Amino acid sequence: MNPTTFAAILPEVLLLVLGILILVVEPFWKEKDRRNTGWLTFGGLLAILVVSLLAGRPGEPTSVFGGTIRFDWLGFFFKMLFIFAAAMTSLFMMDVEKLGRRGESYLLLLASTLGMNLMASASDLVMLYLAIETTSIPLYVLSGFIVDDEKSTESGFKYLLFGAMTSAVMLYGFSLLFGFTGTTNLYEIAAAVAGAQVSTVTALGVIALVLVGIGFKVSLVPFHFWAPDTYEGAPTPVAGFLSTASKAAGFAVLVRLFFIAFAKNGLAPDWTTGLAALATLTMTLGNLVAMTQTNIKRLLAYSSIAHAGYVMIGVVAFSNLGVTSVVFYLIAYILTNLAAFGIVAVFSRVAGSDKISDYAGLSRRSPWLAMAMLVAFLSLAGMPPFGGFVAKVFVFAAAVKSDLVWLAVVGVINSILGVYYYLTVLKVVYLYRMEGEAEESHPIPLTRPYGIALVVLSLGVLLIGTLFAPWFSASGAAALNLF
Amino acid sequence: MTVDLILFLILALVAVATAAGMLFSRNAVYSALFLVLNFASIAVFYLLLGAPFIAMAQITVYAGAIMVLFLFVIMLLGAEQLAPIKVLPWQRPLAIGLAAVLVAETAYLLILRAKPAADIIPPAETVNTLGELQRLGMALFNQYLLPFEVTSILLLVAMVGAIVLTKREKGERE
Amino acid sequence: MIPLSWYLILAAALFSVGLFGVLARKNAIAILLGVELMLNAVNINLVAFWRYGSLASIAGQVFAIIVFAVAAAEVAVGLGLVISVYRRRNTVVADELDLMKW
Repeated sequence: MNPTTFAAILPEVLLLVLGILILVVEPFWKEKDRRNTGWLTFGGLLAILVVSLLAGRPGEPTSVFGGTIRFDWLGFFFKMLFIFAAAMTSLFMMDVEKLGRRGESYLLLLASTLGMNLMASASDLVMLYLAIETTSIPLYVLSGFIVDDEKSTESGFKYLLFGAMTSAVMLYGFSLLFGFTGTTNLYEIAAAVAGAQVSTVTALGVIALVLVGIGFKVSLVPFHFWAPDTYEGAPTPVAGFLSTASKAAGFAVLVRLFFIAFAKNGLAPDWTTGLAALATLTMTLGNLVAMTQTNIKRLLAYSSIAHAGYVMIGVVAFSNLGVTSVVFYLIAYILTNLAAFGIVAVFSRVAGSDKISDYAGLSRRSPWLAMAMLVAFLSLAGMPPFGGFVAKVFVFAAAVKSDLVWLAVVGVINSILGVYYYLTVLKVVYLYRMEGEAEESHPIPLTRPYGIALVVLSLGVLLIGTLFAPWFSASGAAALNLF
Repeated sequence: MTVDLILFLILALVAVATAAGMLFSRNAVYSALFLVLNFASIAVFYLLLGAPFIAMAQITVYAGAIMVLFLFVIMLLGAEQLAPIKVLPWQRPLAIGLAAVLVAETAYLLILRAKPAADIIPPAETVNTLGELQRLGMALFNQYLLPFEVTSILLLVAMVGAIVLTKREKGERE
Repeated sequence: MIPLSWYLILAAALFSVGLFGVLARKNAIAILLGVELMLNAVNINLVAFWRYGSLASIAGQVFAIIVFAVAAAEVAVGLGLVISVYRRRNTVVADELDLMKW
């Protein structure tokens, strides 16, 4: 095995080693020390991040493992994002009851991260399908992990039923794609599609089938039904992971499939029109329904559906700047939404409630938590100087540059709708008082893992919103590698 | 030639009939058994297509392992009797509509548009099945080595997951 | 020789029956059975495309084998979830799981 080949799967190999290590070590720890598996996972993931950045960087894009994996900056960039998100999620998981002290939960988290890494770099239909399932199956289990909680088991169950169905439909699309092109390699498929071996109608039919599976992963509108239920019932850190890393992995696949395999001239205008319509629907429905929610996890679920719509704008732009803006948006979104779900996890652990009305008086109960919430929610709303603002600007700019002014306008209108419900939550946090004004006697303690994660994420959101140039050029480099 | 044709038609009839049987039987055990029959007939299709290894895997993995697991769970839960079908007013038409769209789309693609499929060279009358098996093994361990290895991770995770979900804790494990 | 399109139409028919089962059935186990049928239809497609396509590529069979493995993993986890839901709720009817609204 030559060094490049090994470097291409270095993060995955290390993830596997870490997972096995946890499985072996955990039983030897006493019950009270089991929480340390979380620290071990977190430390291990940081180490993997550092080692990969030092030793696993790609050079010129190359195909390895018989063309099943493409080793390029786009994949590498996404991999680092997923590993970072998993590290933060492991911190959030540690103090969740019946989840944080079980080695299995961290193993499942790592396995799912491994699947996402492969999703981001797969360039073969076989690998791609397997990677998508390797991502989903551990997440089904994690959503239903708390077996004596009705909501959790049910959320895992619904997630599985939707996931199994949509992935089967997508697989049917893959089988037709294989049949009509005679190959499973994405780059060879691209050549076959461009070489008019496949008629436009056939290609569009296949695209529709494949879009069902990817639409499920990124929660595009006709396939979003699972998201609110699953997010509400799943353990909060898992919901955060689902709404960030899992969604970003879906977009990584979407970008590679559509920009490579279906990039043929004459085909692209057809699917960009379709996707533009889906993006509009997704943003609008997500934002409108989010306004009516009383449960914070459901609100965040619909908000994350709306954000999938904004990211779609970048995809629809179908340009280099479009991909760059998609990658940049996902960085900002992952940081922000992880923070948001982390805050919800902290709050519900102490207060035992996810109702928005119970957040009244939070600014007095825990000023720092309220501050983190301010940062996260303003960034979600797209306010400067936070990451969400710059990300939205880039996405809309990409749309305008591709002569899709109407789509950018729809996006801006939707952002304004979004501001309304994010600010409503902040109003409850900052302006309302708890019942009996007894905030002082109900403090919300932050344990160390939560503290570390929230500080890192909040600073990250600020950093991306102010010093965005290096991130943007990194996203641009990643985007260039795609073509 | 004609034997193949007759075999295909009979098997297709069996496959579709058992699929329909799976769909409409009220008893979950019957549903599962219909599906076993369906999978067995699909295995014969694989033999017709000259893929004996896939046929064997179909019988052992699908009709054997997976369906036995299903039957186990059905009987374990005592869920034989499927609840009388309460249908939401919109659900049945939606399901029929979606399935019909899919059939129409596929038929359209295959019959009218799939020129390449029609142009494909008719396959050799016989395939050297043993040679094919060898090539399958070579492909699985060369070009598709990585997916093959990832499968093992997936199965490990599924095992851990199934245990986590079904194991009853003795007391609380805090 | 049987035309390729016959196999593809058969697969499409089975896939549609499976999809219909998934969408119309209420029983969780029946839904999972429908998904299995869908995956099998895909496998017929893959093997038929391999046989009628260029025999130089064995990818169709490899794909089918990977689908077997994924199906096994999915069923194990799926039935695990069915059991854990049943223990809490004493039902496997997806419709009765309306704790959380759509």
